[in-house]
Amino acid sequence: MDRLACVDLAAFPLQLLLKRHPEWRGAPVVVVEHDRPHGEILWADETARGVHVRPGMRYAQGLSLCRTLRAGVVSRAEVEGGVQQVVRLLQAHSPEVEPNREEPGVFWLNASGLVPLYGSLEVWAREVHRALEEGGYSACVVVGFTRHATYALARAWQELLLDSVAVLEDPGHEAALLRRVPIACLGIPPDIQVTLSRLDVRTVGEFLELPARMVRRRLGDVAYRQYRRFAGSLETPFDPAPHPVPFFETTDLDEPVDRVEPLLYLVERHLEVLVRRLAARDLAVAALLIELTYARQGEGTAEALHRAAFETRRVERVRPGAPTLDPGRLLELARLRLEGLRLEAGVVRLRVSVRGVKAGREQLQLFAHRRRRDLAAAGRALARIRAEFGDDAVVTARLRDGYLPEAEFAWVTADRVVLPRPGGSHVKQMVRRIFSIPERLAPRSRREPDGWLLRGAGHGHVVDSMGPFIVSGAWWDTSVHREYHFAETRDGSVFWVYYDRPVRRWFLQGVVE
Amino acid sequence: MGEPAIAEKIQRRFPGVSVSRGIPLSVSRPAGWCLGALRGCLSELSGDRSRATLTLAFELVFEAQAGGEPVAFLSSTASAFFPPDVAATGVDLEALVVVRLADVLKRLRAAVHLARSGAFGLLIIDLDARDRVPAAALTALVGHAQQHDLAVVFLTEKGRGHPSVGSLIAVRAEAVRKKVSGKVRHVCQVEILKDKRRGPGFLRREAYRGPAGLC
Repeated sequence: MDRLACVDLAAFPLQLLLKRHPEWRGAPVVVVEHDRPHGEILWADETARGVHVRPGMRYAQGLSLCRTLRAGVVSRAEVEGGVQQVVRLLQAHSPEVEPNREEPGVFWLNASGLVPLYGSLEVWAREVHRALEEGGYSACVVVGFTRHATYALARAWQELLLDSVAVLEDPGHEAALLRRVPIACLGIPPDIQVTLSRLDVRTVGEFLELPARMVRRRLGDVAYRQYRRFAGSLETPFDPAPHPVPFFETTDLDEPVDRVEPLLYLVERHLEVLVRRLAARDLAVAALLIELTYARQGEGTAEALHRAAFETRRVERVRPGAPTLDPGRLLELARLRLEGLRLEAGVVRLRVSVRGVKAGREQLQLFAHRRRRDLAAAGRALARIRAEFGDDAVVTARLRDGYLPEAEFAWVTADRVVLPRPGGSHVKQMVRRIFSIPERLAPRSRREPDGWLLRGAGHGHVVDSMGPFIVSGAWWDTSVHREYHFAETRDGSVFWVYYDRPVRRWFLQGVVE
Repeated sequence: MGEPAIAEKIQRRFPGVSVSRGIPLSVSRPAGWCLGALRGCLSELSGDRSRATLTLAFELVFEAQAGGEPVAFLSSTASAFFPPDVAATGVDLEALVVVRLADVLKRLRAAVHLARSGAFGLLIIDLDARDRVPAAALTALVGHAQQHDLAVVFLTEKGRGHPSVGSLIAVRAEAVRKKVSGKVRHVCQVEILKDKRRGPGFLRREAYRGPAGLC
C-alpha cells in the first residue's frame, strides 16, 4: 500500500450525542460517564469549554458553571455501533477501512489506486469529507504515507483549525510536518505530557530526539509505544474491517409460480443452507429478506398484469423476536408473511437472503445438535488411542469431595464423548497447574540475605506471599498438616506451595498460569 | 455497501471493464484471539515466567463448548490443569476429553488420531519447555485442521523472542499475567506476535480473579 488516509472524527462520543440530539447543537453539551450529579464529564464541546466546563469535572460542577449545560451518556455499545456505521460509510470510498481499536473515531483508509477513479487524491479526500458531513459528522481527512504520521497530522490539523482536508505530497514532506506536531495534540496521558514539558519537549520531533532507552525507562511502556510508532518502528500491518458478507440463495423458476406452498418449499431449502453457513461463522439470523420477482408477461388478471408492469420486484422482510438459528421458526414467519401476498402475476425468481449478527451461546448450542461433528467418530478415535497407549491415556476429570487438592478430583477413563453443556457464563478466573507428584523444595535456611529463592535465582526471591491456608486431617491414619501459600517471585511467577509440617519440608504443588 | 459502490464507480468510468465482486479474505475469519480466528490452522500460545497460558486456553475451551464443539486437552502425565479451577470458569469437565501421555511424540500421535476423526472443534496440546515437535506431525495436524475446521493450539513455555514450534504455526500469541494494584489484582494480556492471515499487533487485556486464596 503506497498511500493511506487518516479520518479523524474528534470527540467521537460527543458527535454521537449531538447526532442523537440535533437540537442541542450550539448549546453547551457534555458527555457524562453516568446520568447522575456525580457523573464525570468525559467530553465537552466548544461552547461548554467556553464557559470553563472541562472534562474531568463532575456534572454538578459543570451545572454550577453553566445552568443550561446539556448532558448525556454514550454507552460503549453506542460508540461501537457508531464506529460500525462510519466504517460502512467509508467503505463506499475505499475497499479497506481500519478503525482504530484503541481510540474510537479514528479510521485509516487505503487510498492506493484511487487516482484513476477520482482524478486526484484531493478530490477523493474531499468526497470522503463531504460524505461524512452529510452523515452528520465533523471530520478531518489527511492523506499521507504512514499510519501514525497521518493520525498525528489529522489531530494537529483539527487543533489548529486548519483545512479539514490535507494531501501530503511525499514521505519526506510528511516526516517534516510530523516533527512539528505539538505533543499536546496527541492524546498522550497528562502525567507523561507534564514530564515531557519539564524536559522542554513540546513537539514530536523533539520527542524523537530523546534516546529510546531513556523513554522506556523514565516514561514507561505507553510513552515508549508512542515513541516507536512515531519513529516508524512499530508500523503494524493494515487490518481492515471486514465487509458485510452477503448471505443469499437465488432460484430462477422455469414457470411463474402463483401459489405460496412451492415458494415456501424453496424458502425452507434455502434457509437450511443459509443457517448452516451463518452458524459456521458463529452468526445467527437477525432478519430474513425474501425477494420475489414477478413475471412481466404471462397469464393472469388484467389488474395483476397492470400491477406487475409497475411492480416487478417485491422485497418482504421479516425479523424474528431474537436472532435465531432455527429454520423452523424463520419458516413460520415467512409463511405468515407470504400467505398475505397476492401472487397472481406469478413469481419467476426467488431470492432469500439473511442478515447475520453475532450468535449467542444459546443459539449456537441449539444449532449444535445439528452440527457436523460426529460423536461416534470421536468415540472411535478414543478407542484407537486407548488401544495404542493404554486405557489410562484417555480420561476426563471428575470432581470429588476431598480436602487435599489432589483428592478434590479424579481422572476417570473416558470411553465416549458427550456433547458439552458448559455453565451459563464464562467466569474470568485464573487456572492453576497441578503437579502429579508435588516437587520437594530445598529447605529454607534460617538466614536468607537475598530473600527466599524458592525456584532458584532465575525467578528471583519471593516478593509476596499469601497464606497460610491450613489443611489438616486424617489424624486416625497418617496425620496430614499442610500450610498452603501462594508465593509470588520477583519475575511475576506465582507458585502454589505448601509446608508439610509432619515432614518439615516445603513442596511445590503447582503454578498459577 | 462499499464494494458495490466502488464497482459501480469503476464501471461508470471505464465502461466494459468487468468488476469482480469477490469477498476479501479478511471476511471469512474474525480477528483477534478467539476460536473463530484460530479455526483451520495451528496456533501457539506461549508465555515465559508470569504466563497465563492455561487461563487463556480455557477461555477458548469454554467458547468451543458454548458452540457445542467437543474439545480435547492433551497433556503430559507430570502435570495438568487443576480441574476445580477449570470447573469454576464454567467449562463442562465431563465433556472435556483429556489425553495424558508422558512422551510428546505419543501425545502428537494421539492428537493426529483425534484430528483425523473430524469430531473435535478444538485440540489443546500442552508442551513442556524441552518438547520438540517434528515437522511431519505439524503437517499432518494442519491438514486435518483445514479439512475439519479444527483449531489446534499448542501451549508452550518460552519468551516472545524464541521461535514458534514450527513454520506451520499460523498464529503465535503470548499470554502474560500482570499484577496490578487496586481492586483488580490480576490482568491477563494476550498479544498476537505472528498471524499469517491478518498480521500481528492484536492486544487484549482483561481482569481476572485469582483462585481461592489468591486475591
